[in-house]
Amino acid sequence: MTGNRRYRHQPHFCILLLGCLLAAIPGAGLIAQPEGTGVQFSEANLSLPADESLGFVSIPAGQFPMGSNPLIDPMAFENERWSASQRQGRVDMPQYYIARYETTVAQFRAFVEATGYPVDPQALTQPDNYPVSFVSWTDALAYARWLDGALRTIPQLPVELKKFLDDGARVTLPNEAEWEKAAKGEQSRIYPWGNQFVSGKANVNSSTPQAVGSVQCSDCVYGLSDMSGNVWEWTRSPYREYPFDTDLTGVDLADDALWIMRGGSFSDENNNARTAVRGAADPGARRAFIGFRVVLSKD
Amino acid sequence: MLSASKGRNRSTSRRGAEAENSRESKSQQSPGITHPHLLKVPGVFVLALFLLSFTSRVQGNPILLYSFWGACLFLAGWQLLVLHKYSAQPLSKSFVISLRPQHYIQTMVHLSVYFYWGMNWQPVQAHAILLIAQVLFAYAFDIMLSWSRRDSYQFGFGPIPIIFSTNLFLWFHDDWFYLQFLMVGIGFLGKEFVRWNRDGRLVHIFNPSAFTLGLFSLVLIATNTTDLTWGPQIASTLSLAPGIYTYLFLGGLVVMYFFAITLVSASSAMVLFGLSALYFSITGVPYFLDSEIPTAVFLGLHLLVTDPSTSPRTPTGRLVFGILYGLGVFVLYTLLSMIGAPTFYDKLLCVPLLNLSVQWIDRLVAPLRNHPLLERWGLGVTLNRKANLVHMGIWILFFAWMSALGKTDTRHLGDSLPFWEEACEQGKPNACNRLLLLESTYCNDNSGWACNAIGAEYYFGEHTERDVDRALGFFARSCELRFQAGCLNYLDSTGIRLADPRPFDLRLLLREGGQNLLDMPEPELYQRACEHGWAFACSDTGSR
Repeated sequence: MTGNRRYRHQPHFCILLLGCLLAAIPGAGLIAQPEGTGVQFSEANLSLPADESLGFVSIPAGQFPMGSNPLIDPMAFENERWSASQRQGRVDMPQYYIARYETTVAQFRAFVEATGYPVDPQALTQPDNYPVSFVSWTDALAYARWLDGALRTIPQLPVELKKFLDDGARVTLPNEAEWEKAAKGEQSRIYPWGNQFVSGKANVNSSTPQAVGSVQCSDCVYGLSDMSGNVWEWTRSPYREYPFDTDLTGVDLADDALWIMRGGSFSDENNNARTAVRGAADPGARRAFIGFRVVLSKD
Repeated sequence: MLSASKGRNRSTSRRGAEAENSRESKSQQSPGITHPHLLKVPGVFVLALFLLSFTSRVQGNPILLYSFWGACLFLAGWQLLVLHKYSAQPLSKSFVISLRPQHYIQTMVHLSVYFYWGMNWQPVQAHAILLIAQVLFAYAFDIMLSWSRRDSYQFGFGPIPIIFSTNLFLWFHDDWFYLQFLMVGIGFLGKEFVRWNRDGRLVHIFNPSAFTLGLFSLVLIATNTTDLTWGPQIASTLSLAPGIYTYLFLGGLVVMYFFAITLVSASSAMVLFGLSALYFSITGVPYFLDSEIPTAVFLGLHLLVTDPSTSPRTPTGRLVFGILYGLGVFVLYTLLSMIGAPTFYDKLLCVPLLNLSVQWIDRLVAPLRNHPLLERWGLGVTLNRKANLVHMGIWILFFAWMSALGKTDTRHLGDSLPFWEEACEQGKPNACNRLLLLESTYCNDNSGWACNAIGAEYYFGEHTERDVDRALGFFARSCELRFQAGCLNYLDSTGIRLADPRPFDLRLLLREGGQNLLDMPEPELYQRACEHGWAFACSDTGSR
């Protein structure tokens, strides 16, 4: 046991050392992450991931099956059914970009420091590379709105993202369909990596969140991290029965607001970490198990 | 040990002050009490204040705790100076027991107001211990101030009504409570030092509580720091107590009966009722937001402006004094609104000005002294009990008339949001500002509907300056209060959505200045909403 633990910590130490060296190089602007997940972030670029696309992954246009088929997924909940006559729907999506990682504490702090946005103090207490939590739906949207403006001003903005933004896209929260397609791809996967739950591929059934990117998912269709577990992720879709509709004019304004969150959290069982699960919460809820990620969307 | 204190006064001013005190009322005065340990009595109050600092209420806030200890330290230092200065002649200082009706009756009336108000607004209960602390501070301060200036101290209930009436209008938040002790101290210093010669006697000019309230009001307005105090909440929460106008009216009758201040209170109330009615008949909207006379003003004209020693001497003078108070409040309300200051200061700012004008008022009415008509109406040279009873009778009839017209405890037109919406649309004076104020108030009370409505006002900028960021802030708050239209507006403000209030919102919007209607059954709630002018509720009433 002891030997195993030592072995596991050696790469962490190396990455930490490398991170420190990079951070010490003037102008490098890279943040060494305390837990050494292998993910590096650029303080100069709003603490976004230090890769060539600033952590945004392109999701190509095309159809995908939305909702659950109980014949394949016996854990499916009733609210995942598309309609009375149809188990799943096929939704045609335009291209969009989604963040590879959940929004981190450092990224959210950059927003708070830049704007003076009032925030629940607990939101900024975790390490920098942890998913930000204790954020309400409105906090998440305020961040996205700020990032939309800030992203357009950074010199290192990749050309493809700049063009996408210039063509009418905006930074926002994903809607349910955007989130679900990014999680399951164009096939009907129960989990982002396949139809069977695999222990260690998602932070579920635990007591705390973990640093974003701690679980790399090479089996996931688009290589996104933490689409299962870690923290629930706010979407920009109000809770209502399927079939999914991007048009919000039909939303019943007399109902108390509930907004969809996806992906399950560290404190959930496996069944809540499925790609089709639809959670919902008060838009003012600030909880340890709720965070978010952003998209660049033209919708 | 008893000895006569008379004859120890050493200056004209001291003689003047005591002469005034003896003239003001028939009080039970004992000869002066002296004792070798009497000098230590203020220390007892300081010790009690110090012990009070160990209660959980005070210990719960470090700044409040240090405020207490700072006050104790200051008083203890002063006590040591007194002891040091007079230790050689401890018998030179004395107490004169002076139990004056205007002190203990006022105290009882104040207490009854606190009791009833506190039953309906919890912060009053939490404030009780701080009220006691101020009384202890006031006694120690007043005794040492008196002994620093003269040999005897009139020991009675005097400091209590000063503290009580001050706190009925203003107190500081815990984090700023040291300013409360300062306010109390300044009140007593004003009483002691700001004096003038009136009718051959040197007397204090200002009502002590009104003086310090007026002074602090000016500073708070000038520095825009009203939020350090509970002032706005105090002014608006009196109406949480059901039937508060009738309650204050009955308490006021006690004061009127014993101290003949009927002419002051009744005339100011009548002026305010009259001007409100006149304004409404001209503009079609109420002058005060949701009442003919705000409850705190109604309280003020009974318990703040009625100090007999700082009012005119003659009945005619008191009548003029009351009329000027009514006019002053009426004018200040608009002036304060115009400069963007909180309007609750209206009743506080004009009292010191009126105190300053009492000699002028007395001179003004002097030629009318022997007018036979005025004599017949009890407005002649001297106050007499029979005339006061007649004045009280007129006031009772007037109040009953106002109540019958729905101008006191019943629902007021200004309580209705649809009324203000319509008035705003029609461009009636001040209506849009009032609408914004009401929506803002209800938004602060956690009505998601109100937050969304005021957000829309700022977004469109029709009735106020357009401010999209502010609008988004209100939409976000509305959304967090689970008002779906607010969420959708926050998400996408290109098409602003408005929706009817939910039942939860109605429980706040229809409270008419009283408690939230959390337990009211929905059919009754919708019935009330319909009566307020919410059209959707009228159609829903039948179906519920």
